[in-house]
Amino acid sequence: MLERLEKGMDDLRAGLNEVDCDLLVIGGGTAGPMAAYRARKKNPNAKVILLEKANVKRSGAISMGMDGLNNAVIPGHSTPEQYTKEITIANDGICDQAAVYKYAQECYSIIEELDQFGIRFQKDDNGEYDVKKVHHIGTYVLPMPNGDTVKKALYRQLRRARVLISNRYMATRLLTGKSGRAAGAIAVNTRSGEFLVIKAKAVIMCTGAAGRLGLPTSGYMYGTYENPTNSGEGYAMAYHAGAKLANLECFQINPLIKDYNGPACAYVAGPFGGYTANSKNERFIECDYWSGQMMQEFFNELQSGKGPVYLKLNHLHKDTADHIEHILHTVERPSRGRFHEQRGTKYSEQMIEMHISEIGFCSGHSASGVYVDEFARTTVPGLYAAGDMASVPHNYMLGAFTNGAIAGEHAIDFAADVDFEEFDGAAVGIEQERVLAPTKREDGIPPNQIEYKVRRLVNDYLQPPKVTAKYELCQARLAEVREDMEERMMVRDAHELMRSMEVASILDCADMAAHASLYRKESRWGLYHWRTDYPDSSDEEWKCHVLLSKQDGKMACEKKAVQPYIIPIADDEKDAYYKQRITAQA
Amino acid sequence: MVFEPFEEESDFELLEENLGDPDPAVRRVAVMDLADTADPMAVPLIARAVSDESPEVRLQAAIALGEFDGLETATALCQAMQDGDNRVARAASDSLSELKDPEAAPPLLTLTSHEDPKVREGALLGLKQLRRPDALANGIEAMKDPVAAVRIQAVGVVGYLKAEEALPALISCCRDGDPDVRKTAVGALAFSKSSHARDALFAALEDENWAVREIAAEVLGRFPLGDNAQRLIGLLDDSYWQVRVKAVRSLGKLKVTAAIDRIGSQLDEVTSNLRKEAAAALGEIADPAALPYLEKLVDDPDPDVRKNVRWALGQIG
Amino acid sequence: MPLANTPTSVPVVVDEDKCIADKGCTVCVDVCPLDVLRISDLTGKAYMKYDECWYCMPCEADCPTNAVTVNIPYLLR
Ligand SMILES: Cc1cc2nc3c(=O)[nH]c(=O)nc-3n(C[C@H](O)[C@H](O)[C@H](O)COP(=O)(O)OP(=O)(O)OC[C@H]3O[C@@H](n4cnc5c(N)ncnc54)[C@H](O)[C@@H]3O)c2cc1C
Ligand code: SF4
Ligand code: SF4
Repeated sequence: MLERLEKGMDDLRAGLNEVDCDLLVIGGGTAGPMAAYRARKKNPNAKVILLEKANVKRSGAISMGMDGLNNAVIPGHSTPEQYTKEITIANDGICDQAAVYKYAQECYSIIEELDQFGIRFQKDDNGEYDVKKVHHIGTYVLPMPNGDTVKKALYRQLRRARVLISNRYMATRLLTGKSGRAAGAIAVNTRSGEFLVIKAKAVIMCTGAAGRLGLPTSGYMYGTYENPTNSGEGYAMAYHAGAKLANLECFQINPLIKDYNGPACAYVAGPFGGYTANSKNERFIECDYWSGQMMQEFFNELQSGKGPVYLKLNHLHKDTADHIEHILHTVERPSRGRFHEQRGTKYSEQMIEMHISEIGFCSGHSASGVYVDEFARTTVPGLYAAGDMASVPHNYMLGAFTNGAIAGEHAIDFAADVDFEEFDGAAVGIEQERVLAPTKREDGIPPNQIEYKVRRLVNDYLQPPKVTAKYELCQARLAEVREDMEERMMVRDAHELMRSMEVASILDCADMAAHASLYRKESRWGLYHWRTDYPDSSDEEWKCHVLLSKQDGKMACEKKAVQPYIIPIADDEKDAYYKQRITAQA
Repeated sequence: MVFEPFEEESDFELLEENLGDPDPAVRRVAVMDLADTADPMAVPLIARAVSDESPEVRLQAAIALGEFDGLETATALCQAMQDGDNRVARAASDSLSELKDPEAAPPLLTLTSHEDPKVREGALLGLKQLRRPDALANGIEAMKDPVAAVRIQAVGVVGYLKAEEALPALISCCRDGDPDVRKTAVGALAFSKSSHARDALFAALEDENWAVREIAAEVLGRFPLGDNAQRLIGLLDDSYWQVRVKAVRSLGKLKVTAAIDRIGSQLDEVTSNLRKEAAAALGEIADPAALPYLEKLVDDPDPDVRKNVRWALGQIG
Repeated sequence: MPLANTPTSVPVVVDEDKCIADKGCTVCVDVCPLDVLRISDLTGKAYMKYDECWYCMPCEADCPTNAVTVNIPYLLR
């Protein structure tokens, strides 16, 4: 049996293989498997490849499962109209409602499908979905106390649907044809450095958040909020392929358990009566929605004399607190229990210290991402995006599944009507040269040091509050690091090669974060885009999307009007929100 | 060089051969690989491993079967659930609880009166998910089981079936000696809108266990109470605040105008969770009689309370 | 510039007596999203090769022999 031990697993090998398919899905986390599965279901004759940097069995944000659906629109508990309204308000009005509305209409059928797959949602004693109220107006939380079966169940469906799975291949660049249409992608094997060129009639990107942009306060590079496999290639690839990216200045910053850096799960604890408190045991969050406003209040409290901030459960009955602790420690981030054990913290006895996460891009929790419409189409024909990297706001897990499904079905129809797009063969050679350059050096700087430096600069200069002068300094420093990366980075094996390619994406994302933030000359979305030089919001000038893209080889931004609302928001509803607006306190 | 970029197709012959290997570790790896195929063709092979002489292999088989469904899977799992090794039995009952296919029910139905309570419990847990009407009789019978854990699963089977004819049995479980059985039974009454169910819920409001009272209060929020709302209002005197929270919530949902003053009195509570729910409930009832109570709290120190007060004032207009 | 060997204590440990990698098991190596586990050429057992861990635990949860223990990385503890 020893042949399975693959001697010399990380040794670099030269190799180039070419395959083709009707549909290429990049990223096998949450949205990707659903996209591939639905595409095969819709067109069983189509050849569908699912490309994954890790292993589909346990990859992505939900590798160990999930505590619950944060945004389930279930008949009898909430309506698509209500949900669309709330998301619009939470995003300060900057929201193309069509995609949100479509999600809200379709997500219930996805829940039922997932239930059929064997993914277990919480049911009451009559077997009905046990939806919990957290949001002020609608009711959207559906717990999954046995949510650890998610990835297993998905994997099973993919095998049965005969999706072609390519594990341990990291996509590095998209291929585009002469007409600008998507033509496929280039990928590199993360254990051998061999290249794979995939020609495809349509491509769906589902590579998740940009989770390694900021540095966690613990200083441990992989102790991120997001799964650190998600290093932002989706954003970088889309950018280099000419797609437009929306509202990247609307950073993701999440409340979490300090040092452990995992979610504190107000969504889990809230329905039981748990809440976020300051050191005086008092609630302090005014805002009704998970939004930048809420994070601003969180940040203010941390900075004030009433900090730190805690998750408070110790006022609940011990049975209740223990029950919450049990859920939090078994499903989504199960090592959380070990962390608290070592610290000697019990939820029923002490409050749990919280903090805010490093910055990132992630539509799952905020609103930034590759710009897509209600069919998950990007601005590049034949190229789709879904999940955390696409611009549909506040998507979370169910959004990834639902929009993945929408993308898969639309893309497979698109692929049926077109032929392979011709692309410039030289592109492959150019990419091979770029990727392999660090392997050609005998001496130089290892990728981990370059990555650390980029991320440290991100923390020092890009983390809100956003100060123009600091941003400009950061851009200059990032340019120096880029030069190091291009001229001096050195790798010794395939694993390091993967890390070196990740550094390139992280650096691209940092540049995009800086550029987009400087362009929007106002403050909006609370902490997410708090510019000290422009502390006020200006609806006249900035109630629009900011789209970033590559123009003539350089980063450029433009304004794009918000699509007319499908679900109108009454003035008093808007007012309710503005009244809640808490201003920043430096 | 050309290399294979895709996950390999499953080689059943090789796996079958490995399943006969003298080394139990090799057999175990073969079982895992069979599970990975997700191909129903693997089930008979894994089923064989359920009788392996090595408990580790049997354990792996019981886990592996969780990837599959249907009669053959259920039969093998039912065997594994009776394994002398506890770990195997437990893994098998976990896997059984993943079954979805109603066709899987027959072997489970034969085990609800098995001598081993763990087996009875596992069989009922599996049956619950399948929601087969022909499991109702087994469920009702098992509600009299001497072991509480079995009775809980029995109530589960019956509760999921939502059968009115099982109501008397469910109601008697609301008086079970075990609080967890009572809790489940009370929760399971939610589907019925009958006055019998309602009376059983009222009785449960006086349960000695707070968690039972809590769920009874919650479930009553879905019943049209009419003149009987007074019983629920009485719960606002409960000694435990988490119970009062649920009572307040249900009274709000049911828009019980008669409860306004009593809910209003909850606004003086030190526990802010309760003040918050009380404010929200007054908003749901939306009666001007609540105004004086709410106005007192516009400046509550707790922002969540203030928010709900503002919202409630808005509802009243 | 020559490279240094800076030591770090790795969070994931494998009980070599339990590990059956020499019998063909590669589960933990397969499932790790960060791809930081390897089977040692020397011992034929799994071990953590790179200190780049999300303490997410698929390696531990999926190991058939309970050989893997995921500890919280020292910097976060
Ligand atoms: C800790 C945590 C807790 C959360 N809790 C909840 C919750 O309770 N409820 C809820 O609804 N949502 C929750 N979310 C959000 C939700 O999990 C995500 O929004 C959703 O899973 C995102 O799906 P995705 O497909 O976009 O990304 P992912 O599932 O992360 O998948 C991205 C995939 O792309 C792969 N990939 C990355 N780069 C490449 C590349 N270059 N080439 C090939 N493949 C690549 C990755 O390996 C990964 O498998 C949570 C998120 C986190 C991180
Ligand atoms: S999963 Fe367990 S048994 Fe298998 S290789 Fe890893 S440590 Fe060894
Ligand atoms: S805990 Fe997660 S990242 Fe760390 S070794 Fe295990 S699978 Fe890999």
